[in-house]
Amino acid sequence: MLWQSDYVLIKRILSLILLALSAAAAGSAADKPSFVVGWSVYVGWNPWYYMAKSGILKKWADKYNVSIKVQRFDYAPSLDAFVAKNLDACAMTNMEALDMPAAAGIDTTAIITGDYSNGNDALLARNNLTLPQLPGRKVLLVQKTVSEYLYERAMTLNGLESQTKRVKLVNTSDSDIATAFISDASQDAVVTWKPMVSQIAKTKGVKMLFNSSQIPGEIVDLMVVRTEVLNRPDGSGQRFAKALAGAWYETTKLMSGKGPETDKVLREIAAGSEDSLESYKEQLSTTNLFFTAQSAAAFTASGDFKQKMNLVRQFCFAHGLLGSSTKSVDDVAIKYPDGSVQGKPDRVRLRYECAYMQMAQMGKL
Amino acid sequence: MTLFRVDTQINRPTAWILSWFLFVAGISLYFYTSQKRHLENPEDKVVPGLTQLGQGISDAFLKSDADDQSATGDGFFHSMLWTDTVASGKRFLWAMLLLIPAVVLGLHMGMFPVVGQFFLRFILFFDKIIALSVLPVLFIAFGIDELAKIMLIVIGVTPTIILDCFNLTKSVPQEQIVKGFTLGAKDFGVTYRIVLKQILPRVLNSIRLNLKAVMLFLFAGEMIASQDGLAFRIALLRRHMGMNVIIPYVLWVALLLFLVDLTMRVANRRLHPWFREA
Repeated sequence: MLWQSDYVLIKRILSLILLALSAAAAGSAADKPSFVVGWSVYVGWNPWYYMAKSGILKKWADKYNVSIKVQRFDYAPSLDAFVAKNLDACAMTNMEALDMPAAAGIDTTAIITGDYSNGNDALLARNNLTLPQLPGRKVLLVQKTVSEYLYERAMTLNGLESQTKRVKLVNTSDSDIATAFISDASQDAVVTWKPMVSQIAKTKGVKMLFNSSQIPGEIVDLMVVRTEVLNRPDGSGQRFAKALAGAWYETTKLMSGKGPETDKVLREIAAGSEDSLESYKEQLSTTNLFFTAQSAAAFTASGDFKQKMNLVRQFCFAHGLLGSSTKSVDDVAIKYPDGSVQGKPDRVRLRYECAYMQMAQMGKL
Repeated sequence: MTLFRVDTQINRPTAWILSWFLFVAGISLYFYTSQKRHLENPEDKVVPGLTQLGQGISDAFLKSDADDQSATGDGFFHSMLWTDTVASGKRFLWAMLLLIPAVVLGLHMGMFPVVGQFFLRFILFFDKIIALSVLPVLFIAFGIDELAKIMLIVIGVTPTIILDCFNLTKSVPQEQIVKGFTLGAKDFGVTYRIVLKQILPRVLNSIRLNLKAVMLFLFAGEMIASQDGLAFRIALLRRHMGMNVIIPYVLWVALLLFLVDLTMRVANRRLHPWFREA
């Protein structure tokens, strides 16, 4: 026993010496704070894959003296991992940011407003059916997600709000929804997102009845960070956020051009989901990607966005997505860049932050 | 030390403590974790505490599904737990009914060489197909409604049952069959009144052991596409971390499975008092 504890002591001293040596040799590389970012396959999130692969992210991480690991997930597990605090930052939509981490008491800050769906989500039907004919029929969709939100908005905007509940929703797993709808010709309608929408739209006799370009700015894709990570007393969380923003806008700049150089970048981004350049470009055409930090910050800070977010939170509450113990929609409050709060000020759980986008805009990163 | 002695005698209290220990340990560990997580984040939903669970249980057992227009009124028989149980139960019973032809087929394959030759090779092959990997084929053949869910179970479980019945039939001593014939029985008499009678308790056991596979396929089917059912609810609740309802649901399914298993075991013992195995 004595020998063993001596051994441990010697080892500790040795490692301390080593640490001091390496710190002297290479700055303080050894105690670099490390962070993990989760993303899942989606046109607006694939750039994270490219950033990590191309070294852009590493460059920015080095600049801010942090180390950042990027990990690909399926969407739902990425949310679970974020709620379980296994991820420091994660790509998700405005709706899930509210009903997953925020509703579970995890204070969450959205630092990058990446894009909004401008046709990526769609309601499609067979046999020349129209929206007023849907009541009494079945619609395949992933329930309690943006798909159901899109469906309700489609009904409401077409004056069919009272009929909304007369449609029978069939909860269908997103990995099977395309084959299920395409191969079973007796199914009338489906709501889903791209790339499944593109696949379904090619089927004979299927028409698109409604898509997210008719509700612009309501389905928004974000990069969110846990607020407690962002506010770490040593400032590493903020350095992490700055590195993410810097890398993001360097990448979107590469994506925004035209010509073979841009195509090369886009092809590599598409490879993140084993997609082709053509298919990725097609998806990008129905995505309102904020290529510049300025446009993203302006959108996030606008009064219009607050109203849209209000629709989303009312939907979440009406469908019990904020949890059965949440008695009021105001119990999961949202704070906006101008300091205003939607809901109870002492229960802010989701924060929209423009600071990092603005720094990128002004070239201060 | 009597821990590893084959002939250890255990008295009643010790037996009681031994058999309940892991339950108590599991429950304690759960609530310890829950409390720790709630100290960190009072709104934690991942490991719900006692009050959250109570809320979840009362929601599940007493409230109807908020999205379902047809379900009105309160009380257990309008609750989402009950309507989901009925929906899943129907599918389960249909699948069980469709196992009867499987038993008959296995028996015939074992008894009649022509039938055996015709089916055996194909079913041996079919048994190895993972039903879940050919979903598009199933969607085309059976749609995605009730029929598809029942067929998924049938395709997943029947080959095993057929092959098991075939083997059980083959294992009946040839002497008995010969004796049946010498005593004047005809082919179907021997098949149904000598062979089937003897293998039936083992067949029931085989079905009993496959209950979990039946449930697995049922849950898979309901998670792919459905409007009601126990797995449908669990899939839906996962979307917003409704663990306080999911946990009661999971325990309820476990209880139901246990009861079905117990019923089949008791029935088997009553129907075949001469059979002493398993």
